[in-house]
Amino acid sequence: MDNTRTGTKRRPPRVRPPIFAVGALAMAVVLGGCRGCQRRSDEVVVYTSVDQVFSEPILRAFEKQSGITVRAVFDTEETKSTGVLNRLVAEGDRPSADVFWSGDPVRPFVLQKRGLLAPYLSPQARALPAGLRAADGTWTGFAARARVLLVNRERLGERPTPKSILDLVSSDWKGEATMANPLFGTTTMHVAALSSTWGEERAQKFLADFRANGGRLASSNGEVKRLVVSGEVTFGLTDTDDANEALKEDAPVQMVYPDQEGFGALVMPTAVVLIAGGPHPDNGKKVIDHLLSAETERRMAESAAHMPLRPGVPVPAGVRSVAEIKAMEVEYARVAEEMVRMQPWLKEWVGL
Amino acid sequence: MGGALSAPGAPGSQPGPRPWALAGGTPADRPPWRHQGTLVLGLFAGAFILLATFPLLHLLLALFVEGAEGLGLLFRARPWLLLGRSVTIAGATTVLALAIGVPLGLALGRFAIPGRRILLAVHLFGFFLPPFLPALGWFHLFGRGGYLGNAATSDVLFSPLGVVLVQGLCLAPAVTALVAVALGNLDPALEEAALLVAQPGRVARRISLPLIRPAVTAGGLVVFTLALSELGVPMFLRVDVFVAAVFARLGGIDFAPGEAVALCLPLLPLLAVILLVDRRLGGARVFAVVGPRTGPRPALVLGGWGRLAVPAVFGVVVFSAIPLVVLAARAAGPPAQIATLLRWAGGAPGNSLLSAAAAATFALAFGVVVGHAAARGQRVAWTVDAVAFLGFILPAAVLGVGLLGAYNRAATQPIYGTLAIVVLAFVTRYTVVALRIAATTFGQVPRDLERAAEIAGASYGRRLLAIAARLDARGLAAAWMATFVFGLRDLETAVLIYPPGSETLTVRIFTLEANGPPAIVAGLSVVHVLLTAAPFAAAAILLAVRRRR
Repeated sequence: MDNTRTGTKRRPPRVRPPIFAVGALAMAVVLGGCRGCQRRSDEVVVYTSVDQVFSEPILRAFEKQSGITVRAVFDTEETKSTGVLNRLVAEGDRPSADVFWSGDPVRPFVLQKRGLLAPYLSPQARALPAGLRAADGTWTGFAARARVLLVNRERLGERPTPKSILDLVSSDWKGEATMANPLFGTTTMHVAALSSTWGEERAQKFLADFRANGGRLASSNGEVKRLVVSGEVTFGLTDTDDANEALKEDAPVQMVYPDQEGFGALVMPTAVVLIAGGPHPDNGKKVIDHLLSAETERRMAESAAHMPLRPGVPVPAGVRSVAEIKAMEVEYARVAEEMVRMQPWLKEWVGL
Repeated sequence: MGGALSAPGAPGSQPGPRPWALAGGTPADRPPWRHQGTLVLGLFAGAFILLATFPLLHLLLALFVEGAEGLGLLFRARPWLLLGRSVTIAGATTVLALAIGVPLGLALGRFAIPGRRILLAVHLFGFFLPPFLPALGWFHLFGRGGYLGNAATSDVLFSPLGVVLVQGLCLAPAVTALVAVALGNLDPALEEAALLVAQPGRVARRISLPLIRPAVTAGGLVVFTLALSELGVPMFLRVDVFVAAVFARLGGIDFAPGEAVALCLPLLPLLAVILLVDRRLGGARVFAVVGPRTGPRPALVLGGWGRLAVPAVFGVVVFSAIPLVVLAARAAGPPAQIATLLRWAGGAPGNSLLSAAAAATFALAFGVVVGHAAARGQRVAWTVDAVAFLGFILPAAVLGVGLLGAYNRAATQPIYGTLAIVVLAFVTRYTVVALRIAATTFGQVPRDLERAAEIAGASYGRRLLAIAARLDARGLAAAWMATFVFGLRDLETAVLIYPPGSETLTVRIFTLEANGPPAIVAGLSVVHVLLTAAPFAAAAILLAVRRRR
């Protein structure tokens, strides 16, 4: 540079902010590895509300078997089933996902109602009982959980074991029971199922009585398990997979299928749907075929204590088959409608 | 993070005569690049304001669409009760953090405590981690099934008091750091003169503390703000707080982001108060008042106080490191477990590093330009700082939904479908960190150097990068590192928007925490600790090598 004011020639000071070099590198990597900038034929996007610890190994097995990379979004425990559901709703007609693997069979109806699902009748679905798939092919159910009571044996002592969800509101168990926030997860479906079976008035009274009875409202079913295992409450309403985890940890607990002499326990198959307009529909169908396979049901039974619904899949020790329990009679489509309809009073009950 | 920026006329801002006036020129003689600075500043300020407000505008639109239904939430008691509880918890956390951080900052920043550099590093490290990791460590220690747990300890841990204790310990290092840095910048002559006639305790009380009050205020505000927006700890410890309610509201079956925005409206006056306190009490004086950096100085001798202070300092530092040791113990297993751990970690550590590094770089770019303007008293920097501060204190869940709605468009898929959306979110939230540290850094560079360069014909860019930035590159590196750390420890923002298959490590730990094998969850937490420690270790080695040269 010719410095005219001093009349001397000087090398310009070298600007070498290493920070910017690091940043430029980071940018290059972020943008260079711009997955999602373009549709790749060897990948598929799956949103799932099935616990990551169970769903991820199954999706990895699919990757290994098919050579297709799975990019997944998992739910947090606290917003179980509704976090990714809402993301799907928010993404609307510009979906990033190809497949939604739901932890229950009713949330797909929310998407169906908004026209966000594409029909797909998987060849694998033929072996499943008829009631587990939509006539129009928009959803298919498989590997099921049940709603159960998890009871802490030490805290229970010599008292009779609670055997009904009505024990949650019984004065015998005042301040000793818990259930998860009914705005989220399978508890929403359970309350909706009760509402569609009992009627709204009785369902509302049930929740009011639960509160009046000093019932503890947990943030999730996983937390229900923690509260029972730690002995902070005597029993709680949760899912079979959470209860099974507690049993695997050798906690002093027992799992009770409720109301076996009454209206039965709620059984909830997981459900898989193809998202309309997803970026990789063909790969989405392949994932669905994989999820609906006998092998996946077997793995879900072994790792997550899900009840196989396909005939012929072995039921591991400690897991009951659907035939062995008295299931609550519900129509999932109606439960889904009830679940949406009851939201205002449910939010009011929770306090939001 | 330092205090707010100086508006024109505030202490530290000295407008002074124009350089071309010094040179005796007329307007016609002014150099052609005289508008470069304004242009670049306008460009950066405009870009940041656009970036930060775009998702917020989207949310306001959602509120407008949902109308009265969203606002109806505010007529219920529970949101207000939760807000009251959140403010109480954040306030108590701040008191605890100040009670720990101020004396510790004084002791480690100014007095001859054996191994004080190591102690300071260990103590500060806790702040670099997402607070739910130490919470997990405390759970393994004091939960019912924990190493030292029983019903009573568990009851305390899973209570608002537990949240205050866990958060207070996690966030206290922010106060410690600000106090120690401010003390490092004090004119040593003041303390040395006082020590001729008074004991160290009295000197600390009467001389040092009053001088560093702005830094203490800034530390308190940082802690209060972070505690108010913390999601992971209250959720993990099952304490209902306001931001968790907003987060939960976004997870309800009937997706209504407008309601979440409505829920945030009561926060606005609170945020305004925080901003006001920030400017009035902390203001530009956080570092500026204590004068320019004067180089290393000898630590003060504690005298008789040492018998009390040294064990106390060691005790606090060791206590705050306990949850990390517990996590490591919980994660310990046969070597084969490492492979399992790495499999569960997947690409998450890389995603964390990449998104935090990229965000820190962008934030620093904004911070350098706007922070320089702030240090030179330009009013536009005040506006950018206010927007950046808003991004920092707004509940991350709301910001996340705003980003989701704003960027899920065909044209922005390269952003929405990739880690770029996480980077964008981090930039929106954490630019204020880089901006304020940069402003403080530039505040220490004598203005005359830049004026002289301008008279000599240096353009704005060269004055900024070759003089101002170069003279205190360490300060800017610290700004980058601080922003990087905030990105690395973030959970709340990333959890709502991470692109499929690209979750950060904090998100992965959080989603696995519910039903994942405890040893694996603890192991992933240890991986996160190592991931955070690695860049600091690298920086320390680099500094040591440079010193030897």
